[in-house]
Amino acid sequence: MDYILEGLINGIVLLVSGDEETYSAISTTLKVSTMSIIASLIIGIPIGFVLGYFDFPGKRTLRTISDTLLAIPTVVVGLLVYAFISRRGPLGSLGLLFTLPGIAVGQTILALPIVVSLTAGAVEGLDRQLKLTLLTLGARGRQLAISSLWEGRYAVLLAAATAYGRVISEVGASMMLGGNIKWYTRTMTTAISLETAKGEFDMGIALGLVLMLLAFAVNAALSAFKKRAAQ
Amino acid sequence: MKVLYELSGIKHRYNGRLVLDIPRLVIEEGDIVGLIGPNGSGKSTLLRILAFLEAPSEGTLHFKGMPVGSEGEPPRRDATLLLQDSFLLKRSVFDNVIYGLKIRKEKSLRKKAFEALKMVGLPPEEFAHRPWYALSGGEAQRVALAARLVLRPKVLLLDEPTANVDEASAILIKEAVLRAVKEWKTTVVVATHDLLWLYEVAKSVLNLYQGRIAAQGTSNLISGPWRPLNDGLWERALPDGQGILAVSPPSETATAILDPSDIVIATSPPAKVSAQNILSGRVTQMLLDNSGERVAVAISLGGVSLRSTITPKAVKELSIQPGQRVWVLFKATALRWL
Repeated sequence: MDYILEGLINGIVLLVSGDEETYSAISTTLKVSTMSIIASLIIGIPIGFVLGYFDFPGKRTLRTISDTLLAIPTVVVGLLVYAFISRRGPLGSLGLLFTLPGIAVGQTILALPIVVSLTAGAVEGLDRQLKLTLLTLGARGRQLAISSLWEGRYAVLLAAATAYGRVISEVGASMMLGGNIKWYTRTMTTAISLETAKGEFDMGIALGLVLMLLAFAVNAALSAFKKRAAQ
Repeated sequence: MKVLYELSGIKHRYNGRLVLDIPRLVIEEGDIVGLIGPNGSGKSTLLRILAFLEAPSEGTLHFKGMPVGSEGEPPRRDATLLLQDSFLLKRSVFDNVIYGLKIRKEKSLRKKAFEALKMVGLPPEEFAHRPWYALSGGEAQRVALAARLVLRPKVLLLDEPTANVDEASAILIKEAVLRAVKEWKTTVVVATHDLLWLYEVAKSVLNLYQGRIAAQGTSNLISGPWRPLNDGLWERALPDGQGILAVSPPSETATAILDPSDIVIATSPPAKVSAQNILSGRVTQMLLDNSGERVAVAISLGGVSLRSTITPKAVKELSIQPGQRVWVLFKATALRWL
């Protein structure tokens, strides 16, 4: 038991003393997760809006596909993206393998179904009165679409927070696509995985604490957005 | 006055079911038209058609002399509808009020919004920055009305504007609507069950029943069941044991219209009159109408309410007042069948 307590104390010391290796993993995680969440929102919100707002043939099928992809295992995404961006793959010439953008591609694919499905659900769930209200106040065409999306903004933020939670906590895609290279592509989750395997608990616990803090912040944001979305 | 709306042969269906059937209706500019009738009588559907939110299944709708719907966008920005449930956008009160102005790219938003809020009795300094969820039902309805009034609409359509508000809000809504009519010559069409409120506002009233205009004015609707008596008379029993007599209803469940001006009020039991309906009741409400020439008197006959209209002079001569026992007289043939 002592080594756990010792690990916890040493972990806190690492954080307080500003240990470079620990902060490198934190900064890498924040960088790559920011990249992937921005990309998934830019791609996912318009797709989710179209899926939720309009009626067209095949809409149900697309929703089912998107909902199914919510549960896609991170290692499967890692494998697929790896196949595409490895030197032999069709996108090998881009040199993305073992880089931060490479990890971001995988994480974007993980986050995308969450953003698409939750945005579509949010738009579908908008009050029936909203469209009538906007029309009767004179909105038309694009104004109608933008105002509708704005009304669902808290639900879209909820989608973003949920997707962010998935991205920062995943380890499979980051490990396979980033290669866990120290000072470069080592994220918090891959570092914890490696350090634990080595029997070094200090940094693992330090990073675990930061991850827990992030998860707590994400959760707090989620419940705030949920409350606002329901009002 | 100029004709604003002209409806000809309008029929509207939902899933094949006919919900509105109006052979002809003309609404003039500056008019205040009241729509009354039971739930499902087509009031809200007619309002949505007048707001150009729905196109009628059949018939033609002219607005300012131009046919609507044949080509181009309907003139939706000329008419604005206040929905029954005061739906507000998830923004501050101020942002709700200026929404319509913003999308029209208008200027002086603050001045106009503050004016509109004052018009509905909400002090702007206190309310402008409140979020949408920090309002009472009456306040929310008045914010929704301010968001329409700020547009200085040519046509203001109101669906049950006083259904979920307190008495003070109902009075403020009435005053704001009348001011819009006076200042901007806004045409108002209002659907409501609040007949006394309507009586103070409307210049004309249409009584809708099963999608049709059953009568003009605040007619009484008397529904069945009717049971046959002797001499070709039928009776609709009232909860207090009295009965309304009518002649040959088309069915046992038929509904009859009784014009308020066909009802005579007496303060003592009359003897030797030709009218077959002599019923005792109690005055529940009295109200001077918009023109100041008629007084609407609501009389409760054991739970069923009838409205009669008499002149202010008659009110004085009879010296009737709410709570007083009176007798109402009308002929069995005065009931017309729908």
